[in-house]
Amino acid sequence: MPLTNRRILIVEDEYMLAQDLQLELEEAGAIVIGPEASVPSALSRIEQEDRIDAVILDVNLGGQFAFPVADALTARHIPFIFASGYEDDVVKSRYPDVVNCAKPFVARQLLHSLENVLP
Amino acid sequence: MPKIREMMKRQQVLADFGDFAIRSEDFDAVLAEACRLVAKALGTDRAKVLEIQEERQQLFVRAGVGWAKDVVGHVHLSMTEASSETYSINAGEPVVSQDITKEDRFIIPAFMKEAGVVALVNVPILVPGRRPYGVLQVDATGPRTFGDDEIQFLRTYATILGPVIDRLRKVDRLHASEERFRRIVETVQDYAIFTTDAEDRIDNWFPGAEAVFGWTADEAVGQLGSITFTPEDRAAGEDKQEIEIARRDGYAANIRWHLRKDERRIFIEGAVWALLDEGGTARGFVKVGQDVTQRKRAETALRESEERLRSAVEVGQLGLWDWNVITGEVHWSDEHFRMEGYDVGEVTPSYEAWSSRIHPEDRARTEAALHQAMERQEEFVHEFRVVHPDHSVHWLSGRGKFDHDAAGRPVRMVGAVVETTDRREWEERQQILVKELQHRTFNLMGMVRSMADATIRSSVDLKDFRTKFRDRIEALARAQRLLSQLRDDDRVTFGDLIQAELDAAGALDASRPRVTLEGPHDVPLRSGTVQTFAMALHELTTNAVKYGALSQPGAHLAVRWRVEDGANGEPWLHVDWRESGVTMPPDGQAPGGTGQGRTLIEKALPYQLQAETTYVMAADGIHCSIALPVSNRSPLESHDASHQSPDPYR
Repeated sequence: MPLTNRRILIVEDEYMLAQDLQLELEEAGAIVIGPEASVPSALSRIEQEDRIDAVILDVNLGGQFAFPVADALTARHIPFIFASGYEDDVVKSRYPDVVNCAKPFVARQLLHSLENVLP
Repeated sequence: MPKIREMMKRQQVLADFGDFAIRSEDFDAVLAEACRLVAKALGTDRAKVLEIQEERQQLFVRAGVGWAKDVVGHVHLSMTEASSETYSINAGEPVVSQDITKEDRFIIPAFMKEAGVVALVNVPILVPGRRPYGVLQVDATGPRTFGDDEIQFLRTYATILGPVIDRLRKVDRLHASEERFRRIVETVQDYAIFTTDAEDRIDNWFPGAEAVFGWTADEAVGQLGSITFTPEDRAAGEDKQEIEIARRDGYAANIRWHLRKDERRIFIEGAVWALLDEGGTARGFVKVGQDVTQRKRAETALRESEERLRSAVEVGQLGLWDWNVITGEVHWSDEHFRMEGYDVGEVTPSYEAWSSRIHPEDRARTEAALHQAMERQEEFVHEFRVVHPDHSVHWLSGRGKFDHDAAGRPVRMVGAVVETTDRREWEERQQILVKELQHRTFNLMGMVRSMADATIRSSVDLKDFRTKFRDRIEALARAQRLLSQLRDDDRVTFGDLIQAELDAAGALDASRPRVTLEGPHDVPLRSGTVQTFAMALHELTTNAVKYGALSQPGAHLAVRWRVEDGANGEPWLHVDWRESGVTMPPDGQAPGGTGQGRTLIEKALPYQLQAETTYVMAADGIHCSIALPVSNRSPLESHDASHQSPDPYR
């Protein structure tokens, strides 16, 4: 399986959604890093980890845009996909090439999108 | 002494004429008398005065005696013909012809021959400056010699005649001029013209004055000029002051309300001039004025109408513009200046003054819309942003129309503009709210799914699942209801939340006081925390109802809370949930149903709300503490921070 032993960081502020994602990814064979619920904790996690293969990034983290996290990932060439509750023009205009998975996720689609961005 | 008598007679004639001429100002009468006297003096029947009419190169028989009616005042002689009269004028000397049949120096006019004239003498009449006036001609119907003394007499006579004629002609011209002036003054009906004497007593009252003021000349003459003033102005001495100014300066403006004979008020625009005598003293005054009451009323009406329009425009906060496309001149209402970020009158309104304030991103589109409206003769309807000097951005909605001439060229544009910034912001906020609603809906669906999964895992059968799941969905709905009842930036308070939860469980029955609630009611919660926090309280309550303090008669639940400032100065809510007097199951046997609630409190709250929690199963019941950051606003205080945050509910 493409996700086997891939190190995937989850950045999602809803505990239950984060738990679900973790479950799905682990069932697909991935190693889950996090989950992280806020911009600062996500940034420090990215800083600490030696290897992150891909990231699922919630756009809205406790009322803050996750753009600083997205920028940090772009700078490190770490692929990521957005998980967002809504279609946002701001997101689309700033990151036109990043896939945005609408909530609630269909697990298969999310995993498929994630596989596609993996290097 | 016939000679002496003759001389005496001629002297008498001269004296008589002089006497007559001094007393009369009637030119033709004086000339006729002159002819009569000279014919009498020389004993001829006929004499006449011929007047030069230069412009026509003619001599005109102006006066005469002994001549037929069709001659005097009728006959013209051409001065180009070689007549004796012209000859005399050109020579400047008397010309005598003893017998005209033998005359070869000049031609004798036909009417003279027909009248049987035989002899004649012409004496030129010169007015001062030696300019020729005409000829005095004495005719005889029989052969006649004219002696030197007679010629000398005639020369003397003509010499006297000259100045008399000159004076009379001047008087005549003056009369004609006065007549002309009087006719002009009397024809004027639109202007009141009248004169007063040095004491301002009316001495001439012309028809225009009667038409404007109503008094006839008979009624007005002799009255003071003040009768045309209103009583207030008379009381204030305006009438006297005006005359004194005119007396001093030669002129005074007279622009004020006046009184008519019928006491109706009329507005006169006019002036009064002093009529000065040779010494420079006012010997009277002439007053001229026009009745402009209609115009004045129209102006007042127009001004009032403009003021009404201005008020309407101000109340409606309308900016108006009027653009003369040909000259480039633009007029703005005061509000338009303000809308463009100018002080009123700060700039001369112009197309450039307008376009320079348009937001750079909107300028090209707005100007294109304007030019399209101009070229296609359409209405201009456009909404655009302007940037004020303080960098604030304002939305304006403009609507205007071009006028075109017959050739289809735009000549003028009139329009109105309103500021729509508030509406725009409201719309943007609406959009944010709609997006937020979508976001929350999807999150909620995710949460329901997770909750279903978790409930399935903890349920023994479908009946169990149904009870637990409905319970949780209802708790979720309660939290949503609290949130949905909020207006704008209101906050759900902890008091509301705990009461709603315990009330739903039937724990607040006053007849069974098993619950103590202690703490400030109005602790505002961050809206983003409400849902998860509510679910945690729900799990605690459900647990207490099923296995804890709310399930056993002797047990008690105390919920106490307080607010303290956290490490970084933001307020934290500390909740202490303590059950007591509960008979706990034997050691090692966890009470049923705690799994999910405990996970929520120990894991989800710290993860999601940065809460600090403890969960202890003490000997006589559950003891749980939850501390979490709360909103630092009062529940009703409205402060808009939503622009910094994608989520206005946080």
